This record gives sequence, structure tokens and C-alpha cells, in this order.
Amino acid sequence: MGLFSESVDVICTDQGQPLEVTWKGTSYKVTGEPNRWFERRKWWAEETRAPIGSGAGLVDHEIWRVQLENTITLDVVRHLGSGRWRLLRIHDAAPARAVEPDEAA
Amino acid sequence: MSFTHLHVATAFSAHYGVSWPDELAQAAAADSATALACTDRDGLYGTVKHIKACMDAGIDPIVGVDLAVFDDDGDHRTRISGRVVVLAHGNNNGAGYRALCRLISDAHARTSGKAGGTIPVAVTRSELASRTLDPQTLKPVLTVLIGPDSDVGQSMGGRKYLRPRTLFNEWINAMPPGTIVAETVTHLSAPGEPLSTAHAVRMLKLALEYNVPAILSNAVRYCAQDGAATADVLDSARTLKSLPELSTAPMLQPTGQGWLKNAHQMLQLGKEIMGAAGLGKADLHKLLSNTEALADKCRINPVLDMGWKTPVVPEASIIGIEKDPMVELSERCNAGISRRFPGISGSAEERLRSRLDHELGIIGNLGFGSYFLTVAEVSRMILEMGVRVAARGSGASSLVNYLIDISQVDPIRHDLIFERFLSGRRSTLPDIDIDVESAERHNVYRKIFDRFGAERVTLMSMQNGYRARGAVRDAGMALGMDEGEISGIAKQLWRFSARKFREALVEKPELREFAGRVERGALEENQQLDLLVDLTERLDRLPRHISMHPCGVILGDATLLDRTPVQPSGLGLPMSQFDKHDMDPMGMLKLDVLGVRMQSAMAFAVREVIRLHPGKDEVVKAGRHPIGPGGSGPDYIAPDGRIDLNAVPFDDQATYELIRSTHTLGCFQIESPGQRELIGKMAPREFNDLIIDISLFRPGPMKSDMVRPFLEHRHGFAPEVYPHPDLKPVLEETHGVTVFHEQILKTFDVMTKCGLDRADEFRRALGDEVHEPGVEKFFRKEAIKNYPPEVVDKVWGTLKAFGSFGFCKAHGAAFAVPTYQSAWLKTHHPEAFLAGLWEHDPGMYPKRLLVAEARRLGIPILPLDINRSHAEYRVEKILEGPDAGKLGIRLSLTGIYGLSGAELKRIVAGQPYDSLADLRARARVSKPNIKRLAQLGAFDALHRDSGGKANRADLVQHLQALQTTPARKAAEVIEGQLSFALGDVELRNLPPELPAPTRVENVRAELDLMAMDVSEHLMESHRPLLDKLGVTTADKLLGLRNGTEVLVAGVRVATQTPPMRGGRRVVFISIDDGTGCVDSVFFHEAQEESGPLLFGTRMLLIRGTTRRTGPRGISLSASKAWDLSKPETLPYAELLPSGGGLPDEYTRHGPLHGISRNLAITGLGS
Repeated sequence: MGLFSESVDVICTDQGQPLEVTWKGTSYKVTGEPNRWFERRKWWAEETRAPIGSGAGLVDHEIWRVQLENTITLDVVRHLGSGRWRLLRIHDAAPARAVEPDEAA
Repeated sequence: MSFTHLHVATAFSAHYGVSWPDELAQAAAADSATALACTDRDGLYGTVKHIKACMDAGIDPIVGVDLAVFDDDGDHRTRISGRVVVLAHGNNNGAGYRALCRLISDAHARTSGKAGGTIPVAVTRSELASRTLDPQTLKPVLTVLIGPDSDVGQSMGGRKYLRPRTLFNEWINAMPPGTIVAETVTHLSAPGEPLSTAHAVRMLKLALEYNVPAILSNAVRYCAQDGAATADVLDSARTLKSLPELSTAPMLQPTGQGWLKNAHQMLQLGKEIMGAAGLGKADLHKLLSNTEALADKCRINPVLDMGWKTPVVPEASIIGIEKDPMVELSERCNAGISRRFPGISGSAEERLRSRLDHELGIIGNLGFGSYFLTVAEVSRMILEMGVRVAARGSGASSLVNYLIDISQVDPIRHDLIFERFLSGRRSTLPDIDIDVESAERHNVYRKIFDRFGAERVTLMSMQNGYRARGAVRDAGMALGMDEGEISGIAKQLWRFSARKFREALVEKPELREFAGRVERGALEENQQLDLLVDLTERLDRLPRHISMHPCGVILGDATLLDRTPVQPSGLGLPMSQFDKHDMDPMGMLKLDVLGVRMQSAMAFAVREVIRLHPGKDEVVKAGRHPIGPGGSGPDYIAPDGRIDLNAVPFDDQATYELIRSTHTLGCFQIESPGQRELIGKMAPREFNDLIIDISLFRPGPMKSDMVRPFLEHRHGFAPEVYPHPDLKPVLEETHGVTVFHEQILKTFDVMTKCGLDRADEFRRALGDEVHEPGVEKFFRKEAIKNYPPEVVDKVWGTLKAFGSFGFCKAHGAAFAVPTYQSAWLKTHHPEAFLAGLWEHDPGMYPKRLLVAEARRLGIPILPLDINRSHAEYRVEKILEGPDAGKLGIRLSLTGIYGLSGAELKRIVAGQPYDSLADLRARARVSKPNIKRLAQLGAFDALHRDSGGKANRADLVQHLQALQTTPARKAAEVIEGQLSFALGDVELRNLPPELPAPTRVENVRAELDLMAMDVSEHLMESHRPLLDKLGVTTADKLLGLRNGTEVLVAGVRVATQTPPMRGGRRVVFISIDDGTGCVDSVFFHEAQEESGPLLFGTRMLLIRGTTRRTGPRGISLSASKAWDLSKPETLPYAELLPSGGGLPDEYTRHGPLHGISRNLAITGLGS
């Protein structure tokens, strides 16, 4: 397991839930129900501006934990401004287990 | 479907909530919600605004509070075990709202009301339990939400399965049945963290297990996502920790999801919780329907539950009235006629009576009789205390107020209109403002509490919001920036809204340097300054805390504390959580009892006069008062020498002469630089001139250029013009220029016959985008019936332009009374008056300027003396020396840096002292303070009398040395034992070693310890340099012709940036050079030239050209300024074009050098 910041392509349902992930040139189907939560960002260190009306995505970002074809578990995050997806973490191979957040971090 | 948010903090949750009630209500209504709760932290601070916002948005308000609960097991006074939300049930004739008010007052009852108190705002669980049931019916009237911030919610982390259940069970056992619900919240944080879906699931399951209803909320802190960052900064300001610190703790909100989510989003959250809990549709439906059922139970009917807009005044019986209040009021008015208008008869009496009947008719119809009697009672009570009292504001328009002694202004004589104050078309209680001596204000408050009973009285509060300086400080702290750096930036922020910080960076010369750093910072990836600007703008106007309003006292009947929560104020008296905007909606009677320092100063002066001159003849002689035909002096001086200021006629020519001289420093309302300029131009001759002067010197008239035409007409430079002869009687007193509200009313009435009551409504609508067009339509339609179109056009133009700016003549008249009285005192008893000013410091200037004014008037300033100085300033007759026969002012021992109130009391009680040892033994003054007194020369006389040869410097050195040696036990003096009158051996034997302190050193000590320059003016020591530079002094300016280029120098006494026509900022800086004040104006170019010197410096050298403003007035149009305290920065080459050598002393530092303690020395503003 490790921390990455690598671009991935994600195809979502209308509700915004990931269906398919393209990683290193390969497309994978998302299997099982993906988990979703929000995490804080250290926006005061990462951003140069925070004007009124910046909107969503300054303080937190949305993280999806997806299991790809029952083998790989990834945490991916979507950047709200650009809509681009990044790979945040790669977890051990299946079976996916409940990961305590402090472990994951 | 719609969803009702039951847990919402507004911006009025200080340092917590982000959004304003109307934003939230609008957003809720836009999402088709039918109700919205406001549950501010610790009180109902935003409740009334919330109710209004909901009514405007067409939804039902729900009212509650977010309160901390004491830990039952812990130390009751300080330990908190989480927070709960408490909602009031509605539509029960206020039973729920009452209980909520009382509960909140309980939560505050133990706190000190002072900053930094150790006891938190919180309730015990038993208080909570007892308040949830109505005392009459014993039915539940409050519902408590046990949510994520409660002890139960906080125990959900980790794997402690038992703890939440134990705690939840405790709640169930402690609270009456049917008074609690479980509040499930998910902010979608990572699994297992606070506010995660997993925690919501555990709360839901607890509720199901114990059969307690569960509801869904979003614990809202901001209206939309954008507010999350602001909430972070507020968390930082509340906890006084930077964001990086809070992030590590971790103490920040786990996500930014606490916004007012819409019904669809809330449904999704519900589904997510049910999914994670393994529950289904039925349970989801139950959760949402529980939420709506609770919302329905808590819908508040503002009128029936809270008495919305229903005025409540004290019961007539409490002021001793058994009969119909209107009958009582009429009787008192009739009695007042013979007192106020002795001997009135014939048609004058008829007019008076018809005016009185008119006023009483309106008051009777509105049912406000007991209101007037209440105010009269307060007024009477204050007078009985022997305190000066005067009505201010539009209340002076009422004959009833004049007849029952609320007001001192005769509305008939000054032609004031009752409808400006009250009419049948207004249903809110009118404002009557009462000015009292500032020094007596708290005593007056206590007396009102005593008189009406603590259950009927509370102080009003005020909200203090972020302004630019506070916002930049807290934003800087959040970012973890260096404190010194932030202070440096904050000092340059001068009176603009924090929201316009970025705009100001571009425009304001004093921020130029900072703007440059922001720009460079962005390039060098030093991101903080840019963020600092953004965060400062985010904080703008957000409430920081409430405090006691400077004058508002709320009076009600015995149910007052059922209608407003109260908390201790710093004064110890209870304070309502409602502010002035909440008064009318809540039907509360607010009396403005304002402490006016000038009233204290004048009362002080009158007491000094009688102390110095005990007897009428002496006072008449000293004050050069008219002896009169009877030879016994005027009636307003009593045989014992007491002056009845209110009885002094308004026609004293010597007083108007002083006013016209523009030497009006210290006079009420006419001492500011702008006012001195205006009176110089206007040259007032009579009382009505003062009323006009005060009314003209307002932002509106100044901004809309009413002053110039008025002055031209007044001095006959241009003929007076009236739009129509019918308007001549209306506008004559102001030479055809519309100045007063009263004139607007009459103009409407004359031209449209609309009646004065409607006219006042029209006046209020002027300048209002929505209502003004209707007024214009009406005016044109009616006026055209009797007047030609060009007259109608012209008059409408005037009404439209000036109507919203004009000033109420009644205000002007009420203000002009103390203006005249203070000028009268300055004219006739300047020593006593200045002593009063020094004692009570009423004006806009630093006190040291009034010391300089005494020096200018040739009044001797008598030094501090341990045996002659008292706890207040005193006028003394000088018996010997060059000033023998004159009156001088002796400095007071109060206000010396470091000297405590207790020491001061002991010193004064023990006077006189024959030695330092005597002072130490009896007054027990600390060593550092004895040294300070010595520095100020308080022992000089004692020292001289002892026959010692040493000087003040030797004594200070001696005392300094003593400070470092340990204290010996003082020789005990046995009661009744006679001590030898040896004089002071210690002083006599002091060896003379050091040179005497220089003038500069003495003045520096005075400035440092008293914020005043006493021995000489602080500019004196700069004189050689200034002479060399060819600086012109203030007293010489008047002799120069218009447009002369001069250099002036002095210490700053005032800085003002009034609103200006055209919107470009103009900065007025006044400096004092010892011969008087120089008022200089910095226009755009000069501001650019002077940059950071505009607001940051205490001593200025200014170059400019003279502008003659009137026969006795001259000011300076500045072109550039330098900092005189940094002589090395002065461009001598530029200033001394002759190329002459520099004076030797040019780098010598003046008395102000090195003093950073006291900003009150100069007029730098806050």
C-alpha cells in the first residue's frame, strides 16, 4: 500500500458513483458497492487564494474506495475544479477489508 | 418532498456560525421547505432576525438553542459533557418560548459576564429536565436533541460499545418522558471519525433499541459549501489556535459538509445511513417523518407565542397610577402649562391647548399613555438624584414631553412638529432618548432596576461585528502568521469595510507597501498574504460578541424575562440577548439613557464655581455676569452661588462672540475641525443659528452641498430664492435651503394637503427604491392641482435630493442646548470648565490638547503635588508669584500610570504628609509609584520645604536604588503617639549629585505617565529645528493671505475621513503646535505623496497652502507630509533651498521619543 498522485480516468453513473476505472492504460469494472467519504484538505497551505464564492472543494474532497474486478482496491479522488480524477492510495489485493482511517492515512 | 432543518447555527452564533438568517431562510424557502429552525449557540442572539427572515420568506420559524450541559459527575462549575440542541414547542401561547428563555437565562446565571470568566455558559441536566415541562400543565414544551456533540455522540469513537448506551440511558432516566430525541447527523467523514455515517448509524440504532424517536439533521453552520472555509477561520478565532495547530489536534470540523443541504440531498444522506445500517425504506420513512413531526410541533406563531410587535409597557400600578393612564397624563400636562407657560392667555393659549389636544388624542388612540408616564417617571427619578438630564432626539418635538418635564426644549417656540415623533399612522413605540451625566449613568441604571423591579428591567445588548482591523488580526492568527507582522498591517487599515480589502489595496496610498508585498508574495509563492486578504474579507461584519449597549435600557411588565433571555453584563446587571433591531419586533420598550461626558463636565464646572466662589456676588463678579437692573445679578445664580444652567437665557452675546472666534475646543458639538471651519464661515448670532449649524454639519448636508448655498444666502452674496411664495414661511429660517426634516414635512403638506402624519411617511420613503416612486406619483398628481409644472418639478427635485439627508430640527434643538451651555461656561468660567473637561474628557481630542488650550488661554497649570493634588482636578486661587490672583488648575492624582485606585484613595485620605516616610507609612504607596510621583515632581514642594540641596533627578535616583533593596519593616507609630515634626530628613540629607532633569526629560515623564505635556508644550523642544526650517505657527496663519505656501508642524490631535461628495476620500489631519490647531486637508495627490505617514505618525511636518474659510477661519491644503519624529528622514535640501547649514540640534529627539505606551497622547484614532 502506498500514497500516489497519479491521474486515472473514471466513468461514473448519473449519481456520480464510479462504474469503470482506467488505470495504467487498462480499464477495470468496479465490483461491489464502492465506499465514499470526504476528507479535509490543508487548504491554507495548498491554496493561494480562498475568496468568497470559491464554492465547494476548498475544505474537503470526495474520496471513493473502489474494488476493481475483485482484485485491486484503490482510493480515488476527484478534483472539483477540473473534474479530473487522481489515484490517492493503492490497498493490498483482495479481499478488501475495512480499513481504519488512521491506518489508511 | 420537503425537509426541515432543525439544527442550524446562524452568524449570530459568534465565532461559530457563518451565514445570516435571511440567507438561510431564503435558501430553505427556495428548496420548498415550509419551516426552518434557528438554534444559535448559547442564546437567542439571531432569533428575532430569524423570525423576520422566515416571515419574509413565507415559511414558519422554529426557535431553539445549542447549549452546553454540565457533567453530572464532574465539578458542576466548570466541567462540560457535550452540547445539545433544545427546541421550543410552538402554538401553545408561548409556553415553549417562555421555557426556552428561562432555560437560557439559567445557563448564563452563573457566569461573570466578563471576558475570561472561568465558568462556562451551560445548564445542569436537572435544570434542563425541569424546564422541559410547563409549570402549569406539566406537559412537555421543549424537546432536547441528543446528537453528535452530546456526551453520547462524543463517546461513539473507537470500540467502546457500552459507554454510549450508558450515557444514553442516563438521559432517558433523567428527562421527563417525551422530551428527548436522538439526532442523527452525517457529514460524510471517513469511517469511524466524528460525524461519519458510521456514527450516525450507531446513534440511530441506540434510538431504535431504546424506543426513542430519531430524527435527521445536518448540524448546519453555513448556508452553502463556500462557507466551510469561513467556519474553519471562526474555529481558529474561537479557540485562539492557528489552522495548522487545529489541524494537528485535530480540532477542525472533519469535513466541509455542514451546509444547508436541500431536501434531495438530505434524502440521499438518509438512504446512505439506512444502507450502512442495513435498514430499509420503512425505517428511512420513519426517520424523515419523525423529523417532520418534530418540526410541526415546533412551528412558532410569532404573534401568539412571542408577542410579535405587541408593545408591552410596565403596569400602571408600578408607577403608582390607579386611574386611567390617559386621564393622569392629561392632568399632568394641564399642570405643566402653568409652569412652562406662566401667564399664557388668549389666542396663544388657544393654540397651545389645541396642540396639546392633538398630541393627547394621538397618544390616546395608540394606547401609549402609560409609556409617557413611565418615561416621565424615569426622568423625575433622575432629577431627584440631582443628576443633570436632558431629552435628546425627536422626543423634543412633543409638547407633552415638554409639559411633563421629559424634554427641555419648547417645541412651540422652535416650531417643531409632533408628527416627526409620533403619529396615528405608526404603531411602534417612539424613541425617547435621555442624556444624563456619564459619571452617574450606572447609578441611574441601578436606580431604574430598583424602582421598577429586576423582573421588569434589563439592559439592551449590542452585537459587535468584525471590522477591518479585527478581521485581519484573526485571519492572520488563523494562518499562523507572525503577530508583529499582523499588527503592522492592522495599523494601516483605516475605516473601510473588511469586505473591500482587496479593493482598498488598489486604492489606498497607505496600503501601497502592503499591496506590493501581496503581489510579490504571489510570485515568490509566499501565499499567505493573498490568503490573508481573502480570509479578512470572509470575516467582515460577522458578529464577534455581544456587549452592553451604551445606553439602552429595556422596560417591561412582570413577564419581561419570559420574553427575553438575559445574561450578566460586565456591569453586573442583567443584559438581554436582544439588540436594538429586536426591540420593535418584540414589542419592547427601550429607553435610551445615554451617559454624556459633557453633562458630567458641566456639572463638575458648576460645582467648582460654587466651591471657589461661595456666594452669588462673587460668582457674578468672577464670571462677569450682568448685574441687571436690580443690581443683584441674574436669577439663574442662586444666593449660594449655584448656577442653574438650564435657566441661563440663550442670548448671551459674549458666548456668541467666543463661538464666532472658533476657539471652541471643548464645546459640545462644535469643537471638531470641520465644525470650527463651519462656525467660522457661518458666524452664529443666536440660538437658532446653533440649531442650523448643528443640523448642517451632518454627512447628508455636507455631501449634498447644502452648505455653500445656505452660506451665500445668509451672508447676502446671493439673493434668496423660493420655488413658490407659499413655501417662503417654510424655508425662510434657512434662507430658502431645505435643511430640516420638518421643512420636508411642511413642504409636502403645503403643496399636497396630505396632512403632516402622511407627510412624515412620505419623508421616510424618500431614498427608498421601492416606495419613492409611489410618493413621487402622489406628489405630482396632487401638487399639479395648485402649482405650475415647473414649480412641481423643482420642488420634487429638492425633496428627492435632500429629503433622505436632512436632519430633524428637534435633534438639532436638543443638541444646541448643551452646545450653548458649554460655550457659556467656557466664556464665563473657563478655569472651572476646563477642569471639568480634564476630569471627564468628553471630547474627540486627546486630553493633552485641552491642557494646551488652557496654556493658550493663559490659565496656569499647577503641577502635581503630593499635598495639594486631589483625586480630581481642582481650580485653585493662586496666592503668590507672578500669577498671583489668577485661577489655576491643579493636576489630579488620578490617571497616573501604575497608581492603583486603592493607593490613590489612601493618599488623598492621609493628606497632608510631612515627609516621604510619612507617605510610605500612612498611604502605603508602592516603591515604583513613589518613584513615578517623584518623576512627575509631586515631591518638589516637599523637597524644597525640607531644605535639601539635591534636585528631582537625585531623588528619582535615590528612589530607584531603594526599589532594589528589600523592604524594611516600617517603624511602628503607636496610636496617639506624637511624632516629632522633624521635616523630611531623607529629603534634606539627599546629596546633590546629578544635573537637574531637562525640560524634555520632565515632559517625557509626564507624557509617559499621564499622557499629557504639562511643564511645557511638547513641541517646544523642536522649536530650534522648526525655526530653522521656517515653520509657521498656528497663531500666525490667520494673518497670511489665501494661497500662501507654508510649512507647519505639530502633534497630531485628530484624523478624520468624512464621506465626501464625489466619493473620493479626503483625509483631515489636525495638529497642535502649542499656539493652536492647524487643520489640514489631504486630497488625493497629497495622500499619494504621504503614503504610510497619513495614519501612522504622531508628529508631522506638513507643507501646504493656506485656504481662507471665513473671517476667522483658515486651514491648510496639504501637499506633502513628513514624520517629524525622524529628523534624519527630513529632506533638508528640499526644505532649506537657501542651502544654509543644518541646525546642530536637528537630530535631537523630543519628549515623545521612546514613548509607546499611550496612544491617547495623539489623535491617531482607535
